[in-house]
Amino acid sequence: MAAWLAVGAALMPWPELAYAADTRVFPYSLTKQDIPFTRDELREIFFGRQTLWRDGTPLRVFVLPDQHPLHIRFSKEVLGVYPYQLRSAWDRMIYSGTGTPPALVESLEQMKTLIKETPGAIGYIEK
Amino acid sequence: MLSVISKNRSLYLYIQSTALRCYETVIGIFIILLTYPQCTSALDLGVDDWQVHGFASQGYTLTSDYNFFGNSRGDGSLDFTEIGINLSGHLHPNLLLAAQGLYRNTGGSDREDFRLDFANLDYHLSVGEQATAGIRLGRVKNPFGLYNEARDVVWTRPAVLLPQSVYFDSLALRQAMISSDGGILYGRYGAGDHALTAEFLVAEPQDNTGGAAEFLVGPNARGEMGGRPMFIGRMGYEWQEGRFRLMFSAVDLDRDFKSTTPDMPSGNTKTFYPLASAQLNLEAWSFTGEYGRITTRRQGFAPDIQENTSESFYVQAQYRFKSDWSALLRFENFTFDVNDRDGRSNAERTGQPKHNFYTRDLTVGLRWEFQRNWLMATEYHTVWGTALLSPVDNPDLRQRNGPERWDLLTMMISYRF
Repeated sequence: MAAWLAVGAALMPWPELAYAADTRVFPYSLTKQDIPFTRDELREIFFGRQTLWRDGTPLRVFVLPDQHPLHIRFSKEVLGVYPYQLRSAWDRMIYSGTGTPPALVESLEQMKTLIKETPGAIGYIEK
Repeated sequence: MLSVISKNRSLYLYIQSTALRCYETVIGIFIILLTYPQCTSALDLGVDDWQVHGFASQGYTLTSDYNFFGNSRGDGSLDFTEIGINLSGHLHPNLLLAAQGLYRNTGGSDREDFRLDFANLDYHLSVGEQATAGIRLGRVKNPFGLYNEARDVVWTRPAVLLPQSVYFDSLALRQAMISSDGGILYGRYGAGDHALTAEFLVAEPQDNTGGAAEFLVGPNARGEMGGRPMFIGRMGYEWQEGRFRLMFSAVDLDRDFKSTTPDMPSGNTKTFYPLASAQLNLEAWSFTGEYGRITTRRQGFAPDIQENTSESFYVQAQYRFKSDWSALLRFENFTFDVNDRDGRSNAERTGQPKHNFYTRDLTVGLRWEFQRNWLMATEYHTVWGTALLSPVDNPDLRQRNGPERWDLLTMMISYRF
């Protein structure tokens, strides 16, 4: 019984903003058509399954490195997944030819710049 | 991970060089011819999401009584190299092109060296708000179980080796399991945290390479496999992007062997391999299990029809105790003949030792991503039985009465970009 309770507790969905932080993480895109994004849409986009916007224009996704604190927060707080779930889905795509994972940027500054310069781009920022 | 926004010319040269190196297959060339005129305009349209990734992994294996991946007794073996480079990008927002060249050497169990691992076009589209569907054509990776598609990249494995009872690496059957030439239809239906996935493959298996024919038909068999294409189906349910995952896969192979060996008749071999998979992914822990049975039916090679069913399963726990470290504990079991679990009657029939008909393996492992894009992993196996050893690396396996229990230590270092 105790074991089942433990499994049940471990399986509970993540609460929003599980720990105290002064800032929040937001998806960031200059393409306004799909805003506000639902969690399901963001998962489709960041897991690499959705490759175009609703109007048919190409979608480009940018992410920070796996260990970056903001990437970890975006994964958990916004997408509701562990960062390693994203990494494992992306690796599978890369090494089996079934998709293109998000492009990697090194810093938040670079993320902002690339999103402004790239048509159809989406990433995330901290506010 | 490095993202390369390539120009038309470098893309063309890359595909061309890959295809030239894989002259044994025409698929790469076919794809260049098919897609090059389109990709000029597609890149002009701005889908410049081309990415080039690669990996280079080198392993070392030390064993006690038998050889695994080369001459691993004594001083150990360095015959464990996996190097790959791949390219992927969208020619059109819905149309993906991807290809990977792979160099692999694992001693006697893989002497193919360089090969075209996959080269496929993938067309996918949304069906309503919640579903996607697609078709993938070319040389495609076989959708099977939790690990098959990316299994040659150590980054996708829990530590060094996949459970050998399900993902045979030292038996020549592996070549037919990796990728094949044909097409896959696939779909995904998502509703909130729940998703259903399905894939169906019809393709020509690569069973004329890597010793697969000898494995399926019998030792020293020379000839050609042909006949009906291979079917693979896989269905899955996942909750919260794989935090919990259930999967069922099945391979159906029905091949005719045309013998060119004197005194060896032609015949037919049928293989059916269903596999059930389950995985629970928690923040620090992952628990995985897969169970399958392989039924083979060989006709024409001997006066009688030879039929056999084997059983494979493993249970595995992974513990991510620091952000860049994880530990592995796994038990796996392979039984050659479900009607003869201790191997006694097969031993009597063939004169081989009993332990050639099963393998039980207890594995502990560690994996450390010691720098970004660098990984080190190590595993220690305590093994009972020798059913999964390569007869090429162990030529005296069928005659010699070696010990039932033996040890295997393996390490791997890998870089990727």
